[in-house]
Amino acid sequence: MTALKKYPVLAALVLGALFMVLPFVVVLMNAVKSPEEYSSDGPLSLPDSVYLDGLADFWERVDFGEKLWNSVLISGSVAVLAVVLSVFSAYAIGIGRIKGRPWVLAFFVLANMLPQETLVYPIYYLSKEAGLYDTRLSVIIVFTVIQSAFGTYLLSSVLSGFPREIIEAARIDGATKWQVLWRVVVPVSRPTIGVLMVLFFIWTWNEFLLPLVMLVSDDVQTVSVALGVLQGQRDMDATMTNAAALLGVLPAIAFFLLFQRTLTRGIAVGAVK
Amino acid sequence: MLKARRRARLLAAALAGILSMSTLAACGDDAGDKESGKTLRLWHYEAPESAMGKAWNEAIAEFKKTHPDVKVEFEAKGFEQIQKTAPQVLNSDKAPDLLEYNKGNATTGQLSKQGLLTDLTDEAKKRGWDKTVPPTVAITSRYDKGVMGKGAWYGVPNYAEYTMVYYNKDLFTEHKVDVPTTVDELEDALATFKDAGLTPFANGGAEYIAQQYVYQLALSQADRSWVDDFQMKGKTDFSDAAWTYAAETFADWVDKGYIAKSSSGLKAEDAGVSFMQGKHPMFFSGSWWFGRFAEEVKSFDWDTFMWPGSKLTLGSGGNLWVVPEGAKNKELAYDFIDITMKKQAQNTLGNAGGVPVAADSSAITDERAKKLIEQFDTLAGNDGLAFYPDWPANGFYDSLASEVQKLITQSAGPGDVLKSLQSEYDENVLKE
Repeated sequence: MTALKKYPVLAALVLGALFMVLPFVVVLMNAVKSPEEYSSDGPLSLPDSVYLDGLADFWERVDFGEKLWNSVLISGSVAVLAVVLSVFSAYAIGIGRIKGRPWVLAFFVLANMLPQETLVYPIYYLSKEAGLYDTRLSVIIVFTVIQSAFGTYLLSSVLSGFPREIIEAARIDGATKWQVLWRVVVPVSRPTIGVLMVLFFIWTWNEFLLPLVMLVSDDVQTVSVALGVLQGQRDMDATMTNAAALLGVLPAIAFFLLFQRTLTRGIAVGAVK
Repeated sequence: MLKARRRARLLAAALAGILSMSTLAACGDDAGDKESGKTLRLWHYEAPESAMGKAWNEAIAEFKKTHPDVKVEFEAKGFEQIQKTAPQVLNSDKAPDLLEYNKGNATTGQLSKQGLLTDLTDEAKKRGWDKTVPPTVAITSRYDKGVMGKGAWYGVPNYAEYTMVYYNKDLFTEHKVDVPTTVDELEDALATFKDAGLTPFANGGAEYIAQQYVYQLALSQADRSWVDDFQMKGKTDFSDAAWTYAAETFADWVDKGYIAKSSSGLKAEDAGVSFMQGKHPMFFSGSWWFGRFAEEVKSFDWDTFMWPGSKLTLGSGGNLWVVPEGAKNKELAYDFIDITMKKQAQNTLGNAGGVPVAADSSAITDERAKKLIEQFDTLAGNDGLAFYPDWPANGFYDSLASEVQKLITQSAGPGDVLKSLQSEYDENVLKE
């Protein structure tokens, strides 16, 4: 490839990267700015000195360690449980080829597109009846189901292209359906499953509305709900909000960096096929 | 491969274990909560360093002193969270004993109608809250079938709010402008600043700031019965003298550059920050900015004055203490409200830059804060609080914002704007 062709692409990518990074830079800049400086110089000036009280105050005010633990617990449980559920149903749909497969899949896609606002009241009443209102378990159950709707859809299409020869070979060797699933299908689809798990974790981490409605008490709330505490009726504490946003987004970024390999591998696997 | 699988299994087992443990723990917590008379569960959404936050923190300490064997469980909530989830929470057994809630027909009014709030009329009489709270402020405490104004007490306000002009003293001295006491003097001041290359008013067209300028202009030409018609009776004529004056003057000021055309998309926060940066000599808005300005404006001296030539201004009682019908410790909740209504908590609120409903203004040490409270006392005495322009109709906040925006961008004339406001108002106005 000639340099003439390469540089415009490179320039476009750099520009795109700048646009993606800019919001983070602004958040970072204001997170370490004192409120007085923010008021006199505005949001776009560079901070004169690093002011960490905003971060520390916010951590203390909402007991951030506890919120972090709640978020990890909920997102982690959802990621694991939703993947297990997706694998089961996708095995039935993609490999087992149950009757009315397209309809089942269409149903899952539709369910996936349902706006969460419509779910608020039914879920509220159901969980109140079941005695699960204001517990982390209720949110875990709800998001396990919501995420596995997408997971089932995605895994089913991946598994329907699964080489039948491998399954038939395993069956001839005397493997049961259960063994085929755990010894053959799951290990071969590991990259896709890994991607799903990472996505489920990050998506659940970022959820706001349902946790806001379902998690009332402070000791069960998640990070994203805790960020809302700073939004007053008419006033907002801009520097502390930035500090909070930084704290809220850091774990998700760390998680992404940690599992970056899994993500790219999963995408690459899809590309070869 | 085998190793990896074992690790995955271990992880799954560990997660499952944690999960069941946390669920069990959550169940365990419940049993403790239900003990009555021993804990006060209290929610509010004011920032800890705000005037209300400070006063209420002190009230909690005072409450602990007078009730040594009672545990106070305070949880700081976000405004949005209470706004979105209050009906659901109050309808469950997770309701707190006492919470701060937004006043108005759509919030406290709605909940009182659904039977989710305790009728506080008897307590208000017994403990004298009905005497401490001035009648204009009490309008937002009383609801009849969900409509405010009269009827039973469902909430008790600790503070009030009203609007005024914040001005930059340094800029006033620099350009030799005196504090205007009449509309003509105000216009002269605006012209002087404009000639000096400054945009006199800070404004934010995307949120409540701009519509409050317009409503204040209308109020300067109106009287109490006009306000009652607009706010309570559901009838107003947008082609009358007051509204016409308001829309035309506002449009004229935009035209002359007293209000920036570029402010149509700005938010309230932007307007406030631009005043704090010293970019504008004046900013018309509510007492809710007072504490923040006092705390954060360091580069110039500032003060406040009431809108010249107007007996009425925007304002009302503040947010309310409400007691859920399902509260388990109502008596403790009443005791706490009573402490917040006492002079001590009220004076703390005043000294921290809030507008207390029942402070002793001689006990307020800060000069500016003292003036803030005296101005309010005059207003309350003259029945001068005219509420907010978006109150009378559903979704009227957005209608006002978008119509006033047209005046700022000059995409529609005052006549057209008033006409659309009339039809929006008539269609959505709340009637008993």
